[in-house]
Amino acid sequence: MTHIEDTFERLEHQTSEGAQELKPHHEIVVAGGPWPELEGEGQTMIINMGPSHPSTHGVLRIMMELDGETVVRAKPIIGYLHTGMEKTGEELTYVQGGTNVTRMDYLSPLSNELVFATAVEQLLDLEIPERAVWMRMMLAELNRISSHLLFQATNGMDIGAVSMMIFGWREREEVLRVLEMITGLRMNHNFIRVGGLAADLPDGWQDAILEVCDIVEAGVADYDTILSENPIWQERLMGVGVLTTQQCLDLSITGPLLRSTGYPWDLRKAQPYLAYDQVEFDVIYTDNGDCYDRYRIRLYEILESVRIVRQCVARMPGGDYRVQDKKVTPPPRARIDESMEALIHHFKLFTEGFRVPAGETYASIESPRGEIGCYVVSDGTGKPVRMHVRGPSFYNLQAMSPMMENRLVADAVAIISTVDPIMGEVDR
Amino acid sequence: MNRLLAAGDPLLNGPIDLTVVLIVIGKTVAIFAFLLVAVMFYVWFMRKVIADMQNRVGPDTAGPWGLLQTLADGIKLFFKEQSVPDTADRRVFFLAPYISLMTAFLAFAIVPIGGKVSIAGHWTYIQLADIPIGILFLLMMSGLGLYGVMLAGWASGSKYPLLGSVRASAQLLSYEAAFGLAIVGVLLQTRTLSTRAIAEQQSWTGITSLGRWYVIPAFIAFVIYIISAVAETNHPPFDLVEAEQELVGGFHTEYTGIRFAIFFLAEFMNLITMSAIAVTLFLGGPSGPSLGFLPADNPVNTWLMPIFWFVAKLLALLFGTVWIRASLPRLRYDQLMDLGWKWLIELAFLWIMVSGTIIVGRDQGWNLFLVVPATVVGAIAVLGLLRLSMPKRSEFLEEIR
Amino acid sequence: MGRFSGFGVTLKQMFKPRVTGDYPTTKRPKPDRFHGRHVLNRYEDGMEKCIGCELCAGVCPAKCIYVRGADNPPDAPVSPGERYGFVYEINYLRCIHCDMCVEACPTEAITESKLFEFSFENRADAIYTKAELLVDDEGRARRQPWELWLGDEDDRTSGWMRATSPAGDADYEGRVNWSGELGFGVRDPEQGQSA
Repeated sequence: MTHIEDTFERLEHQTSEGAQELKPHHEIVVAGGPWPELEGEGQTMIINMGPSHPSTHGVLRIMMELDGETVVRAKPIIGYLHTGMEKTGEELTYVQGGTNVTRMDYLSPLSNELVFATAVEQLLDLEIPERAVWMRMMLAELNRISSHLLFQATNGMDIGAVSMMIFGWREREEVLRVLEMITGLRMNHNFIRVGGLAADLPDGWQDAILEVCDIVEAGVADYDTILSENPIWQERLMGVGVLTTQQCLDLSITGPLLRSTGYPWDLRKAQPYLAYDQVEFDVIYTDNGDCYDRYRIRLYEILESVRIVRQCVARMPGGDYRVQDKKVTPPPRARIDESMEALIHHFKLFTEGFRVPAGETYASIESPRGEIGCYVVSDGTGKPVRMHVRGPSFYNLQAMSPMMENRLVADAVAIISTVDPIMGEVDR
Repeated sequence: MNRLLAAGDPLLNGPIDLTVVLIVIGKTVAIFAFLLVAVMFYVWFMRKVIADMQNRVGPDTAGPWGLLQTLADGIKLFFKEQSVPDTADRRVFFLAPYISLMTAFLAFAIVPIGGKVSIAGHWTYIQLADIPIGILFLLMMSGLGLYGVMLAGWASGSKYPLLGSVRASAQLLSYEAAFGLAIVGVLLQTRTLSTRAIAEQQSWTGITSLGRWYVIPAFIAFVIYIISAVAETNHPPFDLVEAEQELVGGFHTEYTGIRFAIFFLAEFMNLITMSAIAVTLFLGGPSGPSLGFLPADNPVNTWLMPIFWFVAKLLALLFGTVWIRASLPRLRYDQLMDLGWKWLIELAFLWIMVSGTIIVGRDQGWNLFLVVPATVVGAIAVLGLLRLSMPKRSEFLEEIR
Repeated sequence: MGRFSGFGVTLKQMFKPRVTGDYPTTKRPKPDRFHGRHVLNRYEDGMEKCIGCELCAGVCPAKCIYVRGADNPPDAPVSPGERYGFVYEINYLRCIHCDMCVEACPTEAITESKLFEFSFENRADAIYTKAELLVDDEGRARRQPWELWLGDEDDRTSGWMRATSPAGDADYEGRVNWSGELGFGVRDPEQGQSA
């Protein structure tokens, strides 16, 4: 029996790296219960789902105590993608800041840029031009479409509908192609800047965007046909991972998770920013709070976003797309050769950036995943003293423990999938 | 032994000389090769069709139209490092893939691929062995195949494979029941266990012989067979045993290299075998119209056409499995058990009752116009009673809470 | 909408055109503004545009650019004006292709091509020096052995610069704000709202 000795030897050499204590359930959740009592010790098995697991959406690690296939308790463990972006934000000027925040929620980078730019503009007390407002809104909605399409794809894959993965990806790719045409990059665009946008819309943008709107609508109809009515799909998602409004409010959960519990809280309507009060759209909400509702909400939100995008295309105003403030916006390229003052502004902006009056502010918008907020503290220099991003995924992640209790492993997968966490945003 | 094997095959009825032995060895090798090539082709076919259904191109680089993709993958896996977890039970860990592979190969032996042909003056069937208990042999082999999967998960000494193997044992055992009952549903009508005899009962004599293919008189058994066979072979949407999104790889999580490839080989072989058995039992096996403009004893008609019809029917069924794979999400574990125990087995029993009554009635000369409606009504009544006696889903959930 | 109409959706796709392509042998055309591997441009007379001002290095959020300027040798000037980029290195293990350098460059010396397929075999290859970045005598990017260029992919190198009117001033759209490039001359601006 040599290999048993080997096993002990191996255990001796094991490190405690990554070891986590699975605390009794009442210590880790604030809502839910009452909790079942376990019958005797040693009846359960502790299993780690992740950080490297096909359905943990990156590097989420969930520590589960299993009784057979039933999850007795679960604890999400984060930190595997911690890159110190908030700290990096303190080292970058406000001009460079966009490149940093855009990488947090890598599936809706434009929301991140938008919230950062909005926060800094609040400190600067800037009024951005009309065209920039509408462009930002259109881009943010296109981004919401691409993010929700990716959700449809990964959710389908997690539930085992393999074709759905490709279908979702297919339409998302079309949206990304439009974003690529506008911003030059498929993701991490760094396009929404403080004071406006990096560039105007490219030639032929209307046709491209309207075409992609049609493609997305056709795609959504396909998903609806292939999944919504499918009995297996319904069985897998209905009544799974139920949340109540109270639980959501207790845990600061926002976005589709909150709306699925019958609470129509959408910052676009609740606290209109940009020009959301001038466009027509509906806030989608449902009452059951289960995985199926979260799937449906995201599906129909795609259509609402398409609606907004179409209105943006129709009503896009002309004019400047960046605030005409020499201290914030670089001069036109032609002016650099003509004017010494313009050249100096150009150099100053691209080396030390612009100074932001001392103070602190918090701005929040509705990202595809919920309320994303940016808290910026300035001491009057060109770099923030503190830049904190309230990532909705981080808060939504906390719903996992109560949702997974007493469910099967397969349900746990559906729950992770419909919470739709982006680990880049969780760990920042 | 001789009597057991000699049931149908005229080759073994005469004296056994060297030629006969050589023919048997030749057939073994040929069918072995057929199965390997079929798996290779099926994997390619599956990937191409599923790519078509997802607007993709699919494999297109290795060989013409990517035909050699499976071979390339096999070669790659063959030369890969094979790791064994520290906690594994090494002997069982090494053995498990081969159990799967062997049973998969053996099960195919009873499938009648073609008609009766003459090789070197000996008449024989294009079929490896026509055992009188052919169908039982199939059930035996598919039951044994479970050990490969179960032991693999158990011996890996790791948690996800363990969960996979527990799932495997439960799933395969429950669907074995529905699978067996579905076969009984058609055996009642065939009254033999020999696959050759079953195929011959459905032989082609004209377009009316379509009505004798058991898919029509035993349609319910066919549906149950298809569903439970897909579940038996761990094919989507019943691939819970290796559900990637839940259990990483299930029972083969810890397997690498060629041993991993063997599991896949065995799985696809099982799928092909199950489809081939479905063709034999329900779709007339190799029977089909031969080319009328050639004489009946022309080699094209005796050799080629039966094989052509067999392969064509097999492909149609395999296309169906790919289509299912592309279109349906995966079931959850309790739903799988629900479907198996509460629906399939129940339906199969009722089907056996109905068809049994009708057959007895026909033999006894009862008035069929009375017997058929009576049994159907009786069956529906029993089904209703059964379903009423089951706890409602909501009550069930209440009980859990 | 039936419960199993998903089967129809998958079957329908078999008769639709493929959305994927033959990737390594053919590439999808990139949009004009696409950010790819950088090139260092030259004026139409062959002089280098870079003046070694280090603005690109200063603005780079990933700190991947290293520039050292030097005085132009009076008898054989490298660039018009006093100074030129003596050392110019970009570390592609750090570069995030945000194109801040392109926006910052006052002389349009650095722009981005459409290439993103470069797989180095060692870290030294990942650091592109002037020898690799500077366009050749025809104004085209120098193709490195580990880069996958197809056809005339290298002739569209300055899309982002031409799209950007960094001032956000609508009056400056559709106006040429830059000098000509070796081999390509003065390229047309995007029309934007001026069209």
